[in-house]
Amino acid sequence: MTALTRRGVISGSLGIGAANLLARRASAAAEPIRFGWLTALTGPNSAAGIGFNRAVTYTAAKINAAGGINGRQIEIITRDTQGDPAKAVNAAVEMASSVKVHAVFGPTNSGESLATTPILARFNVPSLQVVQLDNLIDPVKYPNAFRFAPSNTQWDDANRHYCLDILKAKKIAVLGDNTGYGTTAVGAAVAGFKKAGAEVVYAEVIDANAPDVSPNLLHARGVAADVVVVWTSSTGLNARLMNARGQIGWDVPFSGHPSMGSGDVARLLEKPDYWKNTYVVGYRSCSFDADGKFPSRTQAFIDEVTGKIELSDTTLYWIVSASDAVHLVADAVAKTGSSDASAIIGHWNQLSKWPGVFGDISFTATQHNGYPTEEIVMSLANSQRQGAFTLAPGYA
Amino acid sequence: MLRSIISYGLAMGAVYALIAVTYNVMHSVSRVFSFTAGLLGMLGGVFGALFIGRMGLPVLVGMVATLGCCAIIGVITEFVAVRPVLRSLDQHLYVLSTLALMLLFQQFTAIEWSTEPQPFPALVDLTVAGIDQRFWMPVLALAATVGGLELLYRHSVVGRAFLAIAEDNFAARALGLPERNLRIASYALAGAIGGLAGFTGGRIMLAFFANVSPLNFYGFVPVALGGIGNNRGAVVGGLALGLFQQAANFLVGGVFASIAVYGVFIVILLLAPEGLLRAPVTRRV
Amino acid sequence: MSEPVALTAGITGTDRPLPRGLRALAPFAALFAIAAVVPLTGNAYLGLIAGRAAVYWVLVSGLTLVVGFAGQLAIGWVALLTLGAYVTSVLAAGTVLPPISPYLALVVAGAAGALVGVVIGLPALRLRTFYFAMATLGFATILNQIALAWQSVTGGGVGVAGPIFGGPFGSTWGFYYFCLAAAALCTWLSANLAASRFGRALLALRDAEVAAEASGISKPLMLVSVFLFAGATAAISGGLFASLQTYITPDAFTFDLSILFFMAILIGGRGSILGPLLSTVLLTILPEIAAPLAAWSTFLYGALLLAIVLLVPGGIANMLDFGGRRPLETRRVIAPAQSMLPALFVTARQPATLRLAGIVQSFGGVRAVDDLSLTVMPGKIHGLIGPNGSGKTTVLNVISGFYPPDAGTVRLGDATLPSGAPATRAGAGIARTFQKPRIVGDATVLANTMVGGSALGRASFIEAMLNLGRHRGDEKLLRERAWLALRAVGLADLAEIRADRLQHTELRFVEIARALVSDPAFLLLDEPAAGLSSDEIECLGSLITAISRMGVGVLLVEHHVDLVFGICERVTVLNLGRELAAGTPAEILANQEVNDAYLGS
Repeated sequence: MTALTRRGVISGSLGIGAANLLARRASAAAEPIRFGWLTALTGPNSAAGIGFNRAVTYTAAKINAAGGINGRQIEIITRDTQGDPAKAVNAAVEMASSVKVHAVFGPTNSGESLATTPILARFNVPSLQVVQLDNLIDPVKYPNAFRFAPSNTQWDDANRHYCLDILKAKKIAVLGDNTGYGTTAVGAAVAGFKKAGAEVVYAEVIDANAPDVSPNLLHARGVAADVVVVWTSSTGLNARLMNARGQIGWDVPFSGHPSMGSGDVARLLEKPDYWKNTYVVGYRSCSFDADGKFPSRTQAFIDEVTGKIELSDTTLYWIVSASDAVHLVADAVAKTGSSDASAIIGHWNQLSKWPGVFGDISFTATQHNGYPTEEIVMSLANSQRQGAFTLAPGYA
Repeated sequence: MLRSIISYGLAMGAVYALIAVTYNVMHSVSRVFSFTAGLLGMLGGVFGALFIGRMGLPVLVGMVATLGCCAIIGVITEFVAVRPVLRSLDQHLYVLSTLALMLLFQQFTAIEWSTEPQPFPALVDLTVAGIDQRFWMPVLALAATVGGLELLYRHSVVGRAFLAIAEDNFAARALGLPERNLRIASYALAGAIGGLAGFTGGRIMLAFFANVSPLNFYGFVPVALGGIGNNRGAVVGGLALGLFQQAANFLVGGVFASIAVYGVFIVILLLAPEGLLRAPVTRRV
Repeated sequence: MSEPVALTAGITGTDRPLPRGLRALAPFAALFAIAAVVPLTGNAYLGLIAGRAAVYWVLVSGLTLVVGFAGQLAIGWVALLTLGAYVTSVLAAGTVLPPISPYLALVVAGAAGALVGVVIGLPALRLRTFYFAMATLGFATILNQIALAWQSVTGGGVGVAGPIFGGPFGSTWGFYYFCLAAAALCTWLSANLAASRFGRALLALRDAEVAAEASGISKPLMLVSVFLFAGATAAISGGLFASLQTYITPDAFTFDLSILFFMAILIGGRGSILGPLLSTVLLTILPEIAAPLAAWSTFLYGALLLAIVLLVPGGIANMLDFGGRRPLETRRVIAPAQSMLPALFVTARQPATLRLAGIVQSFGGVRAVDDLSLTVMPGKIHGLIGPNGSGKTTVLNVISGFYPPDAGTVRLGDATLPSGAPATRAGAGIARTFQKPRIVGDATVLANTMVGGSALGRASFIEAMLNLGRHRGDEKLLRERAWLALRAVGLADLAEIRADRLQHTELRFVEIARALVSDPAFLLLDEPAAGLSSDEIECLGSLITAISRMGVGVLLVEHHVDLVFGICERVTVLNLGRELAAGTPAEILANQEVNDAYLGS
């Protein structure tokens, strides 16, 4: 924790300024690889950011301890955007034009990403994105932006497939929260189900802070929904939905957002039983198979970080994907011998099955959504162990 | 459905009414509205979860500790944000100073406690007539508080001293009443009441740093509707608000519900600026 | 040093308008000059922060008139920023209607902002301070929720792309200069209003509402005007904000942003333009300096805010007010100069008589005034005396129009004065002073005095905003009249001093000067001698007499019976709201009932 003196603040920012100056004056060979990291560490919806942050700092330290990349150290420059798009824009421009980072990871909230994407494109900063919103990735408009996590469409497809083909549901209810993400996700889900020929009997956007959601569930029960799709990252809302389901004694499956499986939500459940019959989007890489085993790459990662990164109160895929983000940049610099934007972007554009822990990432010049759809699975929400989950029934 | 609207509506309404009482107690002794009322509500939930849930203290001890900490924060409000401002010419600085204090505490809680809502423990193993504790606790707390305050103000010397300094603090001082100490005591009391609101509402609202803003606003509505300083009006206003809000949530859902609540509030205020239970207006000339 | 210093009217007290203007202009010029050279650094980040400060200032420049000058705590003004951002973006993007030029969209947004600004602001006329503050927060939430819900227009949660301004302002730095120009223009408009009779009127409404109304200032009209202006600037700021952000979503319009604007004004100093400008820049830069602290930056921000509020409650403007702090002579004597008076009474009027007939005024069950009839002749001094609670001040308040009487009429000449309409009195030629001086402490004595002439101004709000000829003529006239009035009452030496530094007795004379500026036909004085020394009472007496010789009818409510019997031609004695006796001073002195009830033997 930085000392909270004014001197500390001023010298802190002067220090960064001085570091920039020094960085530019030093020879290119010793110049650090500057990795800009924009996320919400405080403010609402910062659980993911906090999780990502652990892996980002750990991975950079690990690479640096091993000698860095071609003798160059990785320098992480973090900005807490607090979920505020104005702060995110300030930070993005600062990273791009003042600090002159070589790559940016984040922001990790949709509102912020929508604002920073055109800006980072304008400065042609190689940027790695994990936010789901479909329109953040466009190789023509934003040739510098790459997503190595699933898009909203991929999540929605995986979930819909599970509901219709494995749960064999006929009448669908879709619930979301009243944030930007929630309203869009509900709309997209409804459209997707209708296109697949299913009957959507109830779709609703709920205030994330509403203390009582039983009227919504009672309504859904009243129209005989046989699955409730839940698209909200709000811890409180997820917990209230599951609690209400248990209290009214309705044994309907919930299916949807991964945060329904988080430790934060589990703590708010009134009975452990309420966590049953809930399926969340997950990743093969972060799921236990029927024998309770991880894929080998994941196991190796967990063996390495146990004791160094706290896993039990966060989600594994946040950790592994953030670790992959740092490696994606480091590898690009290592393989091309340069940290120029064109080198990094050019390298990423021909990545084929890059062996990340999160998944095998592939990009082309016309496809910047790099996560393979087949690696998206549904998991059992209540199987959380070390931040990971068991595959839902019906998966091999 | 109706049962759910009534039970959640009355429970939340009671929490809002208690925050309204907090506003009233603070205002009555300093003529200042403080943005820390909602803050105290939030802290009541957080402290309760901290002492009883995380630290494992017995329920009564935890409750006393929670109310005590909130009382201290009430006193801090008086010292830091109210008293210096009352001295200066510009009375409206209290909005700024209490706001700044609220931001400080809220941000500290977000960093040190958590940015996600945390569970609030079940306090007693008692379900009365099939009604869960989350419903009857806030209502009971409200009745006890308002009843207690009436007894205090009307039937005890200390209470009447509070009223005296509220009415005319120069005269009170001239009579030898320790005005400063009484004000501090009032703010401590207000702090405890705000903490009680959050503590009894903890099962519903959870221990969440972002509860401050909704509590500030929804806790103010009963003050405006019932008339400043009118605790009975605050009770009626709070319960009515809780029921209306729950009904709106159910009938029109999410987004439109909050538009409805805010809209109705503004309209009522325009029709009855001094509250529905009209308080006498002072002459301005 | 040991001799009391006479504040005689011989002091020239010239305006020196040019040096004052330049002195005031310098800090603004310096700030904008610094901003203008930022592009030379080539640093886009500096440009963004400076541009953001300019855009926020566009909003704050209007809002400062609402919050700082009018004293209306509109905390939720971010609602207008939201409105302007969405209107501009949606119109420029052409999602609902065919796309229009972003510049035109900005103008439409400004108009929409003006209208909605009035809607949000009007409750200020009915609600007390904190209620209004909460209501504006309610509006801000409502607008935010509408933005979220109305997906077909606003894009809902996903939002909409911000407008891209083309042409000469198309490049990054071009747009920066556009924002800077907007900021400069708004500074000019706002400063013009601040220095005009409208700015003074707002301050008067804030700190001395009753005196403001008595000077002819209409609160509804003034508030509507500033809400229109502040709404328009906020909406335009929103359009520029949307362009800076390149993309807007409802979550960009946070409670924090609303607080920032509000705090900039209070930290900058109410009643100032320069102060809020400096603090807007400061509050935009501060989070960036604290940014490396990541999670603790907002905490630090809050701590700094609290520190500033506690340590510098008057704000930055107060800190910079060096002129207002010059030491004053401690033993000052007021020396009126009656020779100044004739120049003040210029309106040609038919001499009219002020007549009260059968006035009844009750409060609750109590009759404060019970069937009173009274006549004040032009050019005569009429005294109104009686024990405390006999209804004297109530009589004045009825004449002033603050209380509509339950029965009876007030007539000036042939015309019946409308009841319950205090703002009409100044124009009708009735001016008054108050039992407790109603003064704007923050403003100079001269500015306070000029408030009296509010009804004499001819220029409209727009003309004042643009500093057009008729407005400049108004200001010249009011300034001259105020100087004359201050010389007449003997306070010219203190004209440029902040009114809250004056002694209580001097403030009473300031009120008289203020009343004189309105060129009244009748002057109502409410216990002007209270707290005055015997010398000062003598001064007061001869001043009032001199005023009445100008043809002004004076109604003097007083407890100092020597003064009353010394200068009044007629006296009415009130007791328990009824007329106990009326006549010449000699008749009253001889009246036994009066002696029993009030005068003592």
